Amino acid sequence: MTGADAPLLDVADLRVEFDTYGGTVQAVRGVSFSVAAGKTLAIVGESGCGKSVTVQALMGLVPMPPGRITAGSARLRGHEILGTTMLEGRDFRGNEIGMIFQDPMSALNPTMTIGRQIAETLEVHRGWSRARAFARAVELLDMVRIPEAAARARQYPFEFSGGMLQRAMIAMAIACEPAILIADEPTTALDVTIQAQVLDLMADLQNEKSMAIVLITHDLGVVARMADDVAVMYAGQIVEKGSVDDIFYRPAHPYTVGLRAAMPTNADHADHVLRPIPGSPPDLFSPPAGCAYAARCPHAMNICADHDPPPFLPDESGHFGRCWLHHESVAGGLERLRAGAATERSAHE
Amino acid sequence: MLRYTIRRLVQGVITVWFIATATFLAMHMVPGDPLSGEKATSEQIRANLEAKYGLNQPIGTQYLIYLGNIAKGDLGISFTQKNREVNDIIREHFPVSAALGILAITFAAIGGILLGALTALYRNKWPDAAIMLLVILGISVPSFVFAAFSQLAIVKLNALLGFSLLPVAGWGTVSHMIVPSLVLGLGTMAYLTRLMRSSMLEIVNADYVRTAHAKGLPPTRVFSRHQLRNAILPVVTVLGPAIAAITTGSFVIELVFAIPGLGRYFVQAVQQLDYTVIMGTTVFYGAFLVLMVIIVDLLYGFVDPRVRVD
Repeated sequence: MTGADAPLLDVADLRVEFDTYGGTVQAVRGVSFSVAAGKTLAIVGESGCGKSVTVQALMGLVPMPPGRITAGSARLRGHEILGTTMLEGRDFRGNEIGMIFQDPMSALNPTMTIGRQIAETLEVHRGWSRARAFARAVELLDMVRIPEAAARARQYPFEFSGGMLQRAMIAMAIACEPAILIADEPTTALDVTIQAQVLDLMADLQNEKSMAIVLITHDLGVVARMADDVAVMYAGQIVEKGSVDDIFYRPAHPYTVGLRAAMPTNADHADHVLRPIPGSPPDLFSPPAGCAYAARCPHAMNICADHDPPPFLPDESGHFGRCWLHHESVAGGLERLRAGAATERSAHE
Repeated sequence: MLRYTIRRLVQGVITVWFIATATFLAMHMVPGDPLSGEKATSEQIRANLEAKYGLNQPIGTQYLIYLGNIAKGDLGISFTQKNREVNDIIREHFPVSAALGILAITFAAIGGILLGALTALYRNKWPDAAIMLLVILGISVPSFVFAAFSQLAIVKLNALLGFSLLPVAGWGTVSHMIVPSLVLGLGTMAYLTRLMRSSMLEIVNADYVRTAHAKGLPPTRVFSRHQLRNAILPVVTVLGPAIAAITTGSFVIELVFAIPGLGRYFVQAVQQLDYTVIMGTTVFYGAFLVLMVIIVDLLYGFVDPRVRVD
């Protein structure tokens, strides 16, 4: 193993809880993944599955209290970063890991010019003078394809459109050329044509800088376009992880199959009926003892209710699914699971 | 910006005209006049005096003369004080009130902003509880009570020290200004603290504050550049009316601390129905407050770029 093969960021068994008036919510329940340089990892899942909390915990952005990281480790180039924001005496945020957020309209300071907000990162991490950092901020705005960058840098967020703000956010996040860019639903608040521009920009910057991207989304279209690897999260756990082809063509968890089926399609043979997954996610105040998806799963067996499935490897590539259907005693389990993806699932079956 | 400023100034002049008119009408509706004092004056003297001050003219004519004089900047001569022009009274005593007021508002603004931010940062911990208790005291206890207690405290302190650290009353040196301006600014400071606290709590978890943390900025910088700067906006908005409250409220403090400010003359004039002094000081105060509000509004554009006008 050479140093280049070691993962850039290695997260193991991360657990995050929140104290609320109703009790303790187990928002993240043992999440492990690794991020390789230059690759894009997409974390997919529905609202409340813990995907945002996972990355916010890494970035030290979980408000504590009420939040609490109860277990796990996160190693950036071998250095533990969980529970601290310091790496070798410096704040790694903005420097080693850049982050962009869902709603660019509210994620920028309304009383500071765009250029100053970008320059600030360089001033803090590189110790540059105001003038030098501002000049670089203009270059960065130009790099993210904002026209008349020099004039735009002197404007305030309210003078920008949503798509331009998100590009400015990206410029801010990559100012110090971080090794990893975390994008928390970067296109959710933007309209569709702008979404494509922002995603293309991120992909281009990734190629230029060989930067790793952790992309959080609930949009499988975005996943198909951007991701190398995909982690599917459900109820605070990663239920399936694999390459983007694995997830789309060789799914190993009924939830992934359900997500695929729920994705609207425009194909000729389709009947254009939305197929939601019936039911709702479990209450994370008291997560079920068995598989969290069992209550909504069309293939649920007796064991599913009481025993949490371990990750099963359907092949040797590192692709896994947490589903009892992979157990050797279940005859033809994988075929049953994937059959759900090909044929339309009917509720009364 | 220039057009906006001019428009605001024209509006201000109209406001002052309304104030002047209302004062004039109110004055003439009050029974009695400045000449019907305790000293009996003969019919002849009275008629002469009325003629001298123009009180024998029809009210419409009086109003026009009055407006004309204000426009010329002449506020007239006092009825009850010998040969004193209202302009002289203002020139002599307003600087005292202004110094007191500026000191009080500075103290109130700085104290309110810092204490408010502090309570928000230590929300539900003991500094928050302690400061908020003081704030409730500051809002509910009238300033003359504080004034009396502070004088008592000064006396005790000076006795304890064996020499006079702070004067109990009077005017002239910086040490005379400290305690009265603190007492005068206290109520406003309490009000601004509360405002700042709620405004700070609103933005403590704002998305852009999270962004600032995610950029790896040190907490002090997040606080000063991102939290304080935005939380201060509502406080700046009320600064205009706060200046009004402090300047007009200074009368009691001036009386308790024996400060020769304008507030004392104003009240004295009302008691003696000294027409020109009442109208002169009212119009002057009105113009001053209107100007303050305009200045605060213009400054607001520099604090919040979203309302900057071009």
